[in-house]
Formats: sequence, structure tokens, C-alpha cells
Amino acid sequence: MTTMKLAPLTLKKIKRFRSIKRGYYSLLIFCFMLLITIFAELWINNRALLVYYEGHVYFPTYGAMTPGNTFGLEYDYETNYRDLQKKIELEEGNNFLVMPLVPYNAFEMDLRDTEFPPFSPSWKDKHYLGTDAIGRDMVARLVYGFRVCITFSLFLLVITFAIGIALGCLMGYWGGKFDLFFQRLIEIWSSIPFLYIIMIIASIVVPNLTILVLVSVLFGWMGLTWYMRTATYKEKARDYVMAAKALGASNNRIIFYHILPNTISLIVTFVPFSVAGGISGLTALDYLGFGLPPPTPSWGELLQQGTTNLQAIWIISSTVTALVVVMVSITFIGEAVREGFDPKLHSTFE
Amino acid sequence: MASYFIRRLLLVIPTFLGITLVVFTITRLVPGGPIERIISEAQQMSATEGDSAGTSQSAANDAPLSPEQIEMLKEFYGFDKPIFISYIEWLGKVLTLDLGTSTRYYDPVWDIIKDKLPVSAYYGVVTTILTYLICIPLGVLKAIKHKSFIDSTSSIVVLIGYALPGFIVAIILFVWPAAQWDWFPLGGFISEEFEDFTAAEQIWDVIHHSILPLIAYMIGGFATMTFLMKNTLMDHLASDYIRTAIAKGLSFRSAVFKHAFRNSLIPLATHFGNNISLFLAGSFLIEKVFNIDGLGLLGFESLVERDYPIVLGVLVITSILGLLGNILSDFCVALVDPRVKFD
Repeated sequence: MTTMKLAPLTLKKIKRFRSIKRGYYSLLIFCFMLLITIFAELWINNRALLVYYEGHVYFPTYGAMTPGNTFGLEYDYETNYRDLQKKIELEEGNNFLVMPLVPYNAFEMDLRDTEFPPFSPSWKDKHYLGTDAIGRDMVARLVYGFRVCITFSLFLLVITFAIGIALGCLMGYWGGKFDLFFQRLIEIWSSIPFLYIIMIIASIVVPNLTILVLVSVLFGWMGLTWYMRTATYKEKARDYVMAAKALGASNNRIIFYHILPNTISLIVTFVPFSVAGGISGLTALDYLGFGLPPPTPSWGELLQQGTTNLQAIWIISSTVTALVVVMVSITFIGEAVREGFDPKLHSTFE
Repeated sequence: MASYFIRRLLLVIPTFLGITLVVFTITRLVPGGPIERIISEAQQMSATEGDSAGTSQSAANDAPLSPEQIEMLKEFYGFDKPIFISYIEWLGKVLTLDLGTSTRYYDPVWDIIKDKLPVSAYYGVVTTILTYLICIPLGVLKAIKHKSFIDSTSSIVVLIGYALPGFIVAIILFVWPAAQWDWFPLGGFISEEFEDFTAAEQIWDVIHHSILPLIAYMIGGFATMTFLMKNTLMDHLASDYIRTAIAKGLSFRSAVFKHAFRNSLIPLATHFGNNISLFLAGSFLIEKVFNIDGLGLLGFESLVERDYPIVLGVLVITSILGLLGNILSDFCVALVDPRVKFD
């Protein structure tokens, strides 16, 4: 059995990160929110968690749908488990079923004969945060919307970091014409208003997650590349690189064994802020109506609904609360990561 | 040094050409321009006319405009030439300060932009001034009282403001103080009865309308500036020349304000140029939330309505300001710090 061994320096950094309580607890909160959204099907779903029917046990949460006639209902499309629950309760037999905490999914509209949505929060209907303007459960919209947001941000993060690290490192290491060319390109590219382009593109094709990630990468790779270029440039001029070169180390060895380990520890501090940027970018696009098409659950769309349905204050207040909690915790994590990995120790006046 | 700035100024030209060429090309390649719009309008018109007349002239509805008419439209909007040639023509007009005509209002683009400039400039200038006025003293206070109660509580507040994007703050301010509690007007720049107000009422009206948007504008740059001020001042306070000054008998107070403070302003100067683009471009998200009739909202609406001459006009103004702002940043640094040598 092998244990993973971390370099003592990295251990020290992690220890320093953990000692910053604000950031550490924010990280725990954020991980908790991630777990909730990853396993959202288990507690926000219109499928039952467990059905015991006529001696058989069913777990409908994941997998293919179970037709209604399995449970003695008169249809062969997907079972409506909320109705099934009522039916089983009326029959008073041995059968039983367990519904998730929130028995709605993010897409179904709760239609009623007597009133029109949005419905205010109610424990009786199990709409704990109410419904949105067309009757979809707010908890479900928020949690599944967070999943979309985080997926978008993580894809964006991985691709921009891959491009930024590779290109920035080469620009700093090679310098010369290569560097100059990309410097110009970055200057032009970062002056083009990104939202304009994405809005023009959104008006021709209906954007999906892939297109949005690609366009965001296309206009989002410059910042990190620029930072990486400067960092590499600085490292390259240090004596240890000169020494390695004098010893006959190849370019590959210098980049991968000497420069990258030293620059990456700085780059790590950008990760949380990049995730936050992804979330706010997608939310802004959805708010303007140029993001993911409906009915994708999205926080931006909820903001839009909330500001136009001010009488249904629960829509905007729960969305804003969710956004504030997520953004603030990410920023606190980012601040602590920066303190931990790239400490600026101030000598204070005495 | 002069040669450095001349070189920087000259480099603005290719960058500007690059930006405008990219956006110009995209606006040309995208369907849904003014010609498609006129065709569909004509279609609707002939359809409603057909309905009201009660006759079924479906054959005429399919092609409301003859090919010759479409050719004339293309010529009118300059869509009859290849992209590169019409770009050169457009550029030639821009050089004579003619930004073309709006395809929606048929007014000169420059006149439309000129109308919106004062509003955006007002927010830009006031935001910049207020940010400096609040961040510098706050940063100094935080540096002197490092790790005190004031320092840590204000850090949390500033960081929360930093965490939230400007438009989220705008939405929060719009929903609660303005809409729910009715403390502030629901957006706009001035009231409808502005003309009838006395001078004092007019001033109050503008201030009353602009408090919430200004907070939303300021919140983003606020944290960066405050922490920059605090950290540089602390570095300077710990340096040898301050210790020397105090050892010679200077009071702590005058050591801070006469020596350390002045040196700490240098990094803040680098940020000054970045604000220039904010001056006018603003944030169209914030302008949209508060329905402020500024340049940002104009650009956004023109984009939604595919009024490309205005889109390009706004782009010209904002990109030139942004590029000049970068140079101005360097210039400010050179101005406040004689040691800085550019070459």
C-alpha cells in the first residue's frame, strides 16, 4: 500500500490555509453545497426514493422510468409518484413509498385549478421556497441551477488554465517575436467586448453549454496567459534557471522541473476567483436572456423573473441569498488560498 | 521617455483597427441585419393589409419586395460591397468623425451617442472621485490600525462587496431599498417633472436617483483600491526610512502623512487610467437594472435590435478611451514617480 506523499512545502501551505478559519469554513460550506447539488436527485425529485409494492421493492431515482401500470395505475407513461403516494395511503395496505424531501423536479410546473403561480412558500405543498413565475419549485430550480453553473465554471476553469499555463509559459520562456505577436493579439482580443460577441452569437444559434464554454474560453484566456507570461519571465531570469542551463538541462527539463512548479503555486491562487467569475458570467448572460435556453434551470433567469415579479418577493430573495452565499464563500476561500500559497508577510511598524 | 509614449500612441492605431475589423466582420456575417428586418416588416404589412381588405393574395405575400428593391436597400445600407471594402469605407467616414446613420432611428449615430454621453460621464466621474475619496482614507486607517477591530470588520464588509458582481449588487439595491421600501426612485436618471423643479430640487433629484447606481458602480473597484492602499502603506511604514525619520524625532503622525503616505499613492496612480473606460462605457448591466439612459444601455439595446452602426459607434468611442486609458495609467505612474523610466 502506498500513501500519497506531499512535499513538505505543500503541506505547510495547506496547513497555513487551514489556519485561516474564515476560508476553511467557507470551503466546508462550499463542499457541502457541491454534495447537495451532485446528489440532488436523492432529495429533490418527483420520483420516489423507494417503493414497496405487492412484495416488490423499487428504487426509481436513477435509471429508466417505471411505467404507471407497474403499480396498478391505468397508464403506461411514467408514474406520478405523488399521486401514487395518495393512492397507497388511501388503500391502507402493506404497500408504502418514500418520497424525497422536495417531491418536485426542476422542470415540472405545479398546475392548480383554483389559483395561478407564482405560489408563495408553503410547507404543506412542500414548496419550501415557493415556486417561480410559472409554478416550478424554487428549491429545485436553485439546486439544479447551481449544478449547471458549477459545471460551466469548472469546464471554463480547466480549459482556460490549460491554455493560459501552456501559452503563457511559452511566451515568457521563448520571448522574442512569438511573445510580441501574442502580446498584440492579447491586447486586441481583450479590448473586444466579450458580451457583444456572445450576444451576437446567441442571436444566430441557440447556445448550449458547449458553445457557451467555448465562446467564454475564446474571450477569457488572456488574463491568466498574461499573468503566467510575467511569472515565467521572472523565473527565467533567476539564477537557479541559469544554473540548470549551465549544467546542461534541456528546455523541457527546465520548464517542467524548475519553472512550472514555481509558477503553478502562484497560479493556484487564481482558481477560486476564476470559478466565481464563471458563475457571475453565466448568471449575467442568463439574466440578459443570452445564456442557456429555457427550460434549463438557471440563476440568471430566476433573477430576471424576480425583478419582473416583485410581488413574488420569495423568488428574488432566495435567488439573491443563494448567490451571495456562494460568491462570498468562494471569495473567502480564494482569500485564504492566496494567504496560504502566496503569503505576503507584512513586517509591521513597531 | 517621450519616445516611449509616442510609440505607445502609435501602437493604438493597429490595435484599434484590429478591434473594429473583428466586430465589423462579425456584424456583417450575422443574419438578421436591417435588410432582413425591413423585408419582414414589409411582409407583415402586406399580410395585415391583405387581411383588412379581405382578399387572399398569398402569392404577393411571399415576396413583398422585388429583387430590385432589395438591391436598392443593400446599396442604401452599404451591404452591396465585399466586407473589406465596406470596412475601409466605414473607416474613412470614421476618420472624418462621421459614424454613419442609425438603421433604427435614421439619426446620425454621433448625435445619438452625444445625447447619452453626459449621463455616462456623470456616473464615471463621480464613481472615480468617490472611490478615491473613500478608499484612500479607509486604506490609511486600516494600515495604521492593522489587526484591530476596525480593520477586521471593514475587511469583511469590503470583501463581501468584492465578492458580489456589480449587477447583483444593483439588483439587490433595486429590489429592496428602491422597490420594496420605496426609499429611492425606481431607476432612471431624472424624474419626469424635472423641468418644473427649482434648482435645489433638481440637484436633489439627480442625487436621489444616482445614489443606488453609484454604490453598485463603486463596489467592484472598492476592495482592490482599499487593500492596495493598505498594503503599500504598511510596506512603507515598515521600511527603514520611516524608522530613520522617527528616530530623528519626527512624530508618527507626520512620518505617516509626510513620507509614507505620499509614496504609497504611486500604485494607486496605475489604476487611474483603467477608470477612463468606465467613465463612458460604464456597465450596461447596471444601466439596464436601473434603466439609466447611458451609453452602455444604448450599446446593449442597439445590439438587441441589430442597429449595427450604433454598436460600432459605441465600440469606437469605448475602445479608443480604453486604449488611451492604459497609456494614461503609465503616464500617471511616470508623473508621480520620477524614478520610473520607460524605454
